[in-house]
Amino acid sequence: MSWDKAAITGVGTSRMGKFPGVTSNALAKEAFVNAINDAGIPKEEIDGLITMPGTTSPEGPKHYLALGELLGINPRIAWSISMGGATVGTLITQAALAIEAGMASTVAVVFGDAAKTGGSRFGAAAGDDDSWGIWGMFGNAANSAIAASRHMAVYGTTSEQLGWVGVTMRKHAALNPNAIMREPFTIDDHQNSRMIVDPLHLLDCCLISDGAVAIIVTSPERARDNATHPVRIMGMGQAHSLQKLGKEDWWYMPHQRDAIFDAYRMAGVGPKDIDVAQLYDNFTISVLLWLEHAGFVEPGEAGPFVEGGERISLGGELPVNTSGGNLSESYMQGWLHVVEGVRQMRGECGPRQVAGAEVTLVTGRGMTLNTSAALVLGR
Amino acid sequence: MTDFIEPVVTDVNRGFWDGCAQGVLRVQRCLACGHLRYPVAPWCPECLDERSEWQALSGRGSVLSKLVFHQSYHPAWKDRIPYNVVLVQLDEGPRMISNVAPVSSEDFAVGDAVEVVFEREGEFSIPRFRVTG
Repeated sequence: MSWDKAAITGVGTSRMGKFPGVTSNALAKEAFVNAINDAGIPKEEIDGLITMPGTTSPEGPKHYLALGELLGINPRIAWSISMGGATVGTLITQAALAIEAGMASTVAVVFGDAAKTGGSRFGAAAGDDDSWGIWGMFGNAANSAIAASRHMAVYGTTSEQLGWVGVTMRKHAALNPNAIMREPFTIDDHQNSRMIVDPLHLLDCCLISDGAVAIIVTSPERARDNATHPVRIMGMGQAHSLQKLGKEDWWYMPHQRDAIFDAYRMAGVGPKDIDVAQLYDNFTISVLLWLEHAGFVEPGEAGPFVEGGERISLGGELPVNTSGGNLSESYMQGWLHVVEGVRQMRGECGPRQVAGAEVTLVTGRGMTLNTSAALVLGR
Repeated sequence: MTDFIEPVVTDVNRGFWDGCAQGVLRVQRCLACGHLRYPVAPWCPECLDERSEWQALSGRGSVLSKLVFHQSYHPAWKDRIPYNVVLVQLDEGPRMISNVAPVSSEDFAVGDAVEVVFEREGEFSIPRFRVTG
């Protein structure tokens, strides 16, 4: 039995790329309009507005106030949260639960950011009281490099294996007219790309992009009324390692497994039921960890699994990030992973459609390897 | 403009940095449950008791993860590129972010045994590690 107490009836994206002078809310408005049009509803039907402030949104946790005023919405439920890449899954979960509880009927879940041109910094020092900057430890690449270095040492994972993730995501992006980076690259290109934080090369890193995404969540009853390709929310999960150095296996992000298996349990599915996966790829190593945590392979086996790229490619046993992901489509902090999941379930993906796909897993993770959320969506 | 990032010394972490100044790596030991904690914190994250004392560690451990920064993220570190950053497992349990000294070192590996050393940066002694095996 799957959960199915709410459904996704609309997805919308803004233009993606580099747009000097644009505001995050201007992009969010574009995405919102596209999402309600996709759902086939007037904005008056929206009685929930929950958002993630962009890294360039000046409003911070009050972002919902500013966006609601700009969109002319006076909703029953409204708030903003920031969990990095786990935010979208968490917000969709909150929307779905509010709908099940009768606190809202149709919720717009929105994110916009001018991260490319708005002066975002992804290189801040992590850590607490004694800032890790004292030891030169800065930025998101470094956090993932801790995982990559350890995974390599413990399991023998190689840089070339990480490279196959990047090569494959780019191959998928070439089939997506909305992807920012569509030019194929090779393993040699990956190996020759400059080091950012060893063991991660430039081509192990995601893009930084301007853009926005909006998603409409409603009740299954209303979804039927709208008759616009409702996608089932079968299962949802979250889990977090809020301790970093204090948790021995923090680097491995074991909370991700808990988030996914909670979502599996709610959906009544397991890894073998997943036809296509949208796995949060801020860096290539992240895809390896998700493959292990989601039970597609055993711990330590993801490196050999992705080698050569066939298994995670379209036509392979588990197509991953069919739109190109954060690595090649656009860095929307995992929000486009939900959009692609929805489109795959609707069968709208043209040359990158996974034939007969009925169930997809969408994952996200954020902050200093801390947070995670997972959704199982169905046709 | 300093050429390093100075620790911000507070009432909570003063014992850590005073220890470093004396050439001793020490962390807080919870007086209620005995848990050794790092990073420095105002109470024990295990039992939440606020009473603690500073306990000297052996300074020995091993490299859990090894990074080499080729990208500059901060002016204070720009001229040191490439430099290493390590995640160290200390023998007594806590884990630290630090460096292998000198920070330009690259000829070491995950799993190597290390021992704390203190390097002078302005008015501070910064705990780093040297490879012992």
